[in-house]
Amino acid sequence: MITLTVALLIGAALFGIGLYGALSQTNLVMIMMGIELMLGAALVNLVAFWRFLHPDVYAGQMFFLIVMTVMALEMAVGFGVATARFRAAGSVEMEEAAELQG
Amino acid sequence: MMVAALAILGPLVAAALILVIRRGAAALALGGAAVGVGAALVTLARVAAGGRYAATLPGLPGLPLRLAVDPLAAVLAATVAVVSLLVLVYAVGYMAREADQVRFYAGMAGFSAAMQGLVLADDWLLLLACWELIALASYLLIGFWFDRPGAREPATRAFLTTRAADYGLYLGIFALVAATGTTAIGPSLGARGGVATVAGLLLTLAALGKAGQVPFHGWLQDAMAGPTPVSALLHSATLVAAGAILLLRVAPLLPGTVLLVIGLAGGLTVLLTGLTALAQGDLKRLLAASTSSQLGFMLLAVGAGSPGAAIAHLVAHAAMKGALFLGAGVFQHARGSTVFAALAGVGRAHRRVYAGFALAGLALVGVPPLAGFWSKDAILAATFASPHRAALAPLAILGTALTGAYVARALRLLWHGTGRDEPVVGLAPMGAALAGLAALAATLGAAFRPLQDLLGVTLPEGTVAPVVGLVAAAAGLALGWGVPAGRFPAPARAWAAAGFRLGDGLGGLAVTPTLALALALDGLDRRLDGAVRGVGRGALAAAAAARAVDTGAYAAIGGVGWASLALARATRRTDERGIDRLIAALVRATRDLGARVRRLQTGLVHRQLALAAGGALLLLAFLVVGGLLAGG
Repeated sequence: MITLTVALLIGAALFGIGLYGALSQTNLVMIMMGIELMLGAALVNLVAFWRFLHPDVYAGQMFFLIVMTVMALEMAVGFGVATARFRAAGSVEMEEAAELQG
Repeated sequence: MMVAALAILGPLVAAALILVIRRGAAALALGGAAVGVGAALVTLARVAAGGRYAATLPGLPGLPLRLAVDPLAAVLAATVAVVSLLVLVYAVGYMAREADQVRFYAGMAGFSAAMQGLVLADDWLLLLACWELIALASYLLIGFWFDRPGAREPATRAFLTTRAADYGLYLGIFALVAATGTTAIGPSLGARGGVATVAGLLLTLAALGKAGQVPFHGWLQDAMAGPTPVSALLHSATLVAAGAILLLRVAPLLPGTVLLVIGLAGGLTVLLTGLTALAQGDLKRLLAASTSSQLGFMLLAVGAGSPGAAIAHLVAHAAMKGALFLGAGVFQHARGSTVFAALAGVGRAHRRVYAGFALAGLALVGVPPLAGFWSKDAILAATFASPHRAALAPLAILGTALTGAYVARALRLLWHGTGRDEPVVGLAPMGAALAGLAALAATLGAAFRPLQDLLGVTLPEGTVAPVVGLVAAAAGLALGWGVPAGRFPAPARAWAAAGFRLGDGLGGLAVTPTLALALALDGLDRRLDGAVRGVGRGALAAAAAARAVDTGAYAAIGGVGWASLALARATRRTDERGIDRLIAALVRATRDLGARVRRLQTGLVHRQLALAAGGALLLLAFLVVGGLLAGG
């Protein structure tokens, strides 16, 4: 039987991996994959809290669906940006993109 | 009244036309004078027939100018007009070679017009105006030869002397008008008591000045500096006669004391100026002194209470003295001078003129049946009948003798001796005028009887007076003809010839009192000045105190201002160094911070992400700590 603690541990592990990935990778696609992992960890936590603490309230499921939609939109926008960047600079390496420096 | 007014308007219009047209001056003046004579004679005839005229001209508001013709005015107007005409006829010859005829004839015509105005005026205002016009005209005419040496001073002297005496006229008129409330002459003469005495004395003063009486007699002899026709007109019918006419007009007003003063002044003048005439070395000056003397006779008559005798003598004297001056003018032209030394024997060269001159002179002395006999006779009789006969009668007798003496002396000096004669230009008009006046002087005596009826007066008569007068005149004539002037003591002669300068109007009676008055006024002025200075000093002290207060107030205000300025300066300093600096520091700090923060913005994604993660961790830490603190 999986307990809440196990679920939270899995969520935390996923978040840590995602964070590391997002911070360590230089490729835009890889950074976005790290972010996806962190979002997934958050989703795991959301589901776990709903299932173990308030299973009778449907608002948790609705919140989960909204986050999934946001993830899809985020991916679409992120890949749009990556495509444009690639077309303009011929690369998606973020170490080479310092145009937004203040 | 229209005809009577022509007597004024004729000469007046002539004078105006002469000044405007500026040529034919003599003809215009003669025309005007002829109109005047015609008007005056017609008026005299009408008045003799019982006519009386009066007219009121619009003058100043509430002060109308009145003209009136009564018998006295008609007689005087006729005298003035006739003498003026004859003198103008004479002037045609006398002035033939003179330049500036316009000025001469305009002055003469204006003079006649002013004199007629004076005679016909029935209003003090009009009389005063004419009186002043006469003074002005006489000034202009006496100074006619103003470019010759010694002609200006006599004109000024005549003007100033008569003007000084005119104060009497002004003050007397003021007194009369104030007392009676009217400027009409007739009603104002109803004043009585103190007013009458004071006004009478003041008017007498004016008359003495105008008539050349002691003590104002000096100017009259100096006035000989003018042309001879001017002298003739001045001395016979106009200027000096104005003084006598004034007294005749106001005779009803005069109380006994004033009459005595007039009589004594006249008598004294008769005597003193008679002596002056006797000692004169100049024919015209002799005649001038004689004029004063003869006017003194008129004043004697007025003073003796017989204005009628004075009027008779005035009329007779106008003719006699006019003729004498006209003759003197001919002699002057013949010898180029009027000094007796130069005139010696001139009478034998101009026998007809000498005859006219002698006729007029004998008439003046009072030889019957010439005009002067009747008038002087009346005056002598009047003094004998006067209450003051003790004082007046001897003066009159002595004066008669003196008249005889100086006339005889003049006749003798003109007849004897020899001199070089020059041809005389214009003898015909001069001779005609002289003949006219001499004829009048001879025959006017016959007119005195109707004159008495016309004027409504009776000339005093007596059995003693004619005899005394004749004896005195004869004695005078014998003295003058037989005894040369050199027999007189020299100092007395010089003093008399100078017109008794000690008693002279300007010198003795005007200048000295004026100087004394000026000195007194000066002292008063100095005292006033001291008082004013004291007041000034007080004012200065007050001003100094006020200034001190003011200075204090100024300092206080300055202090307040300085404090305000200091406060403002401090505020500014605070503003600049405090708030401004604070703001500047804030700005600088913000800018520095911004610069630092800017460095965070590297534009590198992972760096941003790392920061975001750090931030999230920080938030988490806050949450945890907060939750622990809240929970704990």
